[in-house]
Amino acid sequence: MLTDNNKIFHRKKIFVVFLLCIGAFIGLFGRLIYLCVWQAEYYARMATDLHERERSIKAARGRILDCNGKVLADNKTVCTVSVIYNQIEEPERVIEILCKELELSEEYVRRRVEKYSSMERIKSNVDKAVGDRIREYDLAGVKVDEDYKRYYPYDDLASKVLGFTGGDNQGIIGLEVVYDTYLQGEPGTILTVTDAKGIEVESAGERRIEPVSGLDLCISLDMNIQSYATQLANQALATKEADSVSILVMNPQNGELLAMVNVPEFDLNNPYELPEGTPENITSEETQNILNSIWRNGCINDTYEPGSTFKIITAAAGLEEGVVTPGSSFSCPGYIIVDDRKIRCHKIAGHGSQDFTHTMMNSCNPALITVGLRLGLDSYYSYFERFGLKTKTGIDLPGEAGTIMHKKENMGNVELATVAFGQSFQITPIQLLTTVSSIINGGRRITPHFGIQTCDKDGNVVDVFEYPVEEGIVSAETSATMREILEMVVAEGSGANGKVAGFRVGGKTATSQTLPRGSGRYIASFIGFAPADDPQVIALAIVNNPQGVYYGGQVSAPIVRQLFENILPYLGIEGDQNEQN
Amino acid sequence: MASNEIRNFREMRDFREKRDFREQSDFRDKRSSHERLNSYEERTYGEKRTKNTKRKKKEQSEYFFDYSLLFIVLFLMGFGLVMIYSASSYQAFLEFGDSAHYLKRQLIAGIIGLVLMIVVANIPYHFWERFYLLGYLVSVVLVPMVLTPLGVASHGARRWIGIPGTGFNVQPAEVAKLCMILFLAVMVCKMGKGVRSMKGFCVMVAFPMPIVLEVYIITKNLSSAIIILGISVLMVFVASPDYKKFIFMALLVLAVAALVVYLVVSGNDFMAFRGNRILSWLDPESDPTDTGFQTLQGLYAIGSGGVFGKGLGQSMQKLSFLPEAQNDMIFSIICEELGLFGAVAIILMFVMLLWRMMVIANNAPDLFGAMLVVGVMGHITIQAILNIAVVTATIPNTGISLPFISYGGSSVMFLLIEIGLVLSVARRIQLKEL
Repeated sequence: MLTDNNKIFHRKKIFVVFLLCIGAFIGLFGRLIYLCVWQAEYYARMATDLHERERSIKAARGRILDCNGKVLADNKTVCTVSVIYNQIEEPERVIEILCKELELSEEYVRRRVEKYSSMERIKSNVDKAVGDRIREYDLAGVKVDEDYKRYYPYDDLASKVLGFTGGDNQGIIGLEVVYDTYLQGEPGTILTVTDAKGIEVESAGERRIEPVSGLDLCISLDMNIQSYATQLANQALATKEADSVSILVMNPQNGELLAMVNVPEFDLNNPYELPEGTPENITSEETQNILNSIWRNGCINDTYEPGSTFKIITAAAGLEEGVVTPGSSFSCPGYIIVDDRKIRCHKIAGHGSQDFTHTMMNSCNPALITVGLRLGLDSYYSYFERFGLKTKTGIDLPGEAGTIMHKKENMGNVELATVAFGQSFQITPIQLLTTVSSIINGGRRITPHFGIQTCDKDGNVVDVFEYPVEEGIVSAETSATMREILEMVVAEGSGANGKVAGFRVGGKTATSQTLPRGSGRYIASFIGFAPADDPQVIALAIVNNPQGVYYGGQVSAPIVRQLFENILPYLGIEGDQNEQN
Repeated sequence: MASNEIRNFREMRDFREKRDFREQSDFRDKRSSHERLNSYEERTYGEKRTKNTKRKKKEQSEYFFDYSLLFIVLFLMGFGLVMIYSASSYQAFLEFGDSAHYLKRQLIAGIIGLVLMIVVANIPYHFWERFYLLGYLVSVVLVPMVLTPLGVASHGARRWIGIPGTGFNVQPAEVAKLCMILFLAVMVCKMGKGVRSMKGFCVMVAFPMPIVLEVYIITKNLSSAIIILGISVLMVFVASPDYKKFIFMALLVLAVAALVVYLVVSGNDFMAFRGNRILSWLDPESDPTDTGFQTLQGLYAIGSGGVFGKGLGQSMQKLSFLPEAQNDMIFSIICEELGLFGAVAIILMFVMLLWRMMVIANNAPDLFGAMLVVGVMGHITIQAILNIAVVTATIPNTGISLPFISYGGSSVMFLLIEIGLVLSVARRIQLKEL
């Protein structure tokens, strides 16, 4: 009997064992409280993640609307066909039907169907009609999910501006990239509870997180102007057998771009289509290079020597600094000697004696070089910077190229002279357009842009975009003088082909030889604005490597003239009755 | 009057000791001063016993049957069956096309076990005394039998012996646990006071060692080896009045464990297999595919149950996510479905079981009976504590089932036989003595 005399220690020891075990149980109880109360949320979330299989629902991407509300980029419903390995009952039939309906090789479909994964995508962007047909077969394990595909109603219109999207609804180039965050929206998910093998637990049902549609983007581009400009550009491309033609149309007062044409354009609904005549056995890298050149937006991504159109900047700097007045007289013997170099004027016989306005009308190189030299390197360079030519314009398109300019310390008088008439450095067309706009609009450097605002589905404005404006680039007087001079250029000078009956148009031509010199390749350009006294629209036409006549005044000025003849009345700009009479 | 009674009591006791057990010579030892302090207790008990002796023969019905213990065991088993069905039905349907597959097998094993329990409970426990050496030898021989063609491998370990013709497998480690309890109980009584000496202590610890090593090395079953060793240490602890040795041993074990963990964490690669287990214990999320997988899945289940659980049958983790959901990891499914409350209820049931066994051990008619009960108590409690500790990632993962609840036929049968032994001991307690 343990209760008896000296065996009492056994009872004690058993009690000690009991207490030790109770202690252990209490410890475990504490641990359980920690797990079930403090850690419960964490582990429950981890477990839910494990149990739920996600299928994402694409959000409808926001549309892109032009300034009149025309839809430039839209969505259409397409289907994504996927298979769920564990739910397939008749793999052979599934393979056969999917091959037939989706026009895919049997090998490809078989590999996908027989791959052991929770969910395998067979094909996305399937037409809704095909998707509906597949759904009607009612195949176990085949899922047809509807989603959206980007659709561009005008195919190649403004292709390099709008850009296109990839398979995951993300922008690839153009506005689609820049405004991706607004357009994209939030994808939703369908969460299905499954067991470890991926079989749906039917009683658990589905949890659905609805997608949030992207916002519509309203841009300043005008579909009518854009399509007319495209027409003109294509015409010039064909008649002049040019490599490419770019036309930019902007409101110089606020920087809103009305058109940006770069022909040849490409089909936004088939952006990966290679041009005809491309050899078939090229590497993927070569394919990508070809595509990149097709997608390239010359107005923004490429730089060129602006040539005589840049004389506007030199002239404005000279007037602003007071080293010339419109009446200053210049003498052109057909060349000018700068240091040890003899720089020729395009008119070998020389322009003789002329006032400053006429030097611009004649686009006289020696006279503008003289203005540049009068300003001197320091002053000229500071104007170059003050006009914003060394910074990017900040346009809301991706991949804007920077200016290629001499370093100040490497510049001598010769370099200064060449820069003064627009050679030996490179800027982008949009940079030229922006700078000229700031000179003629009273000295406000505006930011060129397309994006105006975003709207939700019901048309309520969500975001309004604002762009920086820098005041006082040049004085109002200089600006007015420049407008007068440029109006004279068109009215009576080298830009006469840009004249539009009934309207006061200002402008400047340019013919620049491309590097290397003597290759016989030219860029003909014309920059024009109207009305000359209060510019509402400015246009730049650039014809790259025209055959035959290559002068800007002959090749590009007529393009701008035709454009203005049509769009000025369309924009409601009043003509000048006096001149018409 | 009082002294007469004491004398009377002593005579009576001597008589009973001779009848009950052969060699309880210590009882006639001189009492130490400490023990004399308890003379009051003896006096009061003595009084009762005097009357008792007179009525002893005719009042057999006053012998004790521990219905509480029986109820707790039946409750745990019934609860276990419900949970096995809940945890295994999905998996069983996928594998065998019968969602009650595991339930049925467990039910059969349980019924056989209950029959065996009743039989054992009705055999006076001294009957088993004579088999102590045989049991020990059988254990020694049985464990290596897993390597013979009779051995059955499952769950990636060779730990079972198939009983030819029945389709049931027996884990020799379960047999060894039972035999070890019997063997040590007899040895404690045989050695008498000898167990108190250093030599006796060493002998007692040395005896289980061959079996512990066999189980660990041959069947690679660390958990069973730990349990057998734990049972032995516990029984020696109770048998010996000393504390210092045991405190020293406990500290030694802790130090070794700390050293092993340190070695593994510091990147010493001399323990590859166990090392992984320890690493995945310390940070189960670092290795969610392999060793840490089960631990992590168990934690997901426990955590997602929260305080009140998802409700019976609502576990997600049992849908093939948690391996061995009906077996070693059943406690985590209990937590997931019944929450902290369900888990605490189970722990409380084990505490009550422990308490009942302590009462029986303390009131056992003799040392042999007490030691048997202590052994069974040690077995069940150590196993329950280790299982819950593993499931809650308190200690590194090692395969231990939860007594009476986890799926496992041979385990539940042997546990019920052990309960039979305890009930048998309890029946020898006279009601008046309680």
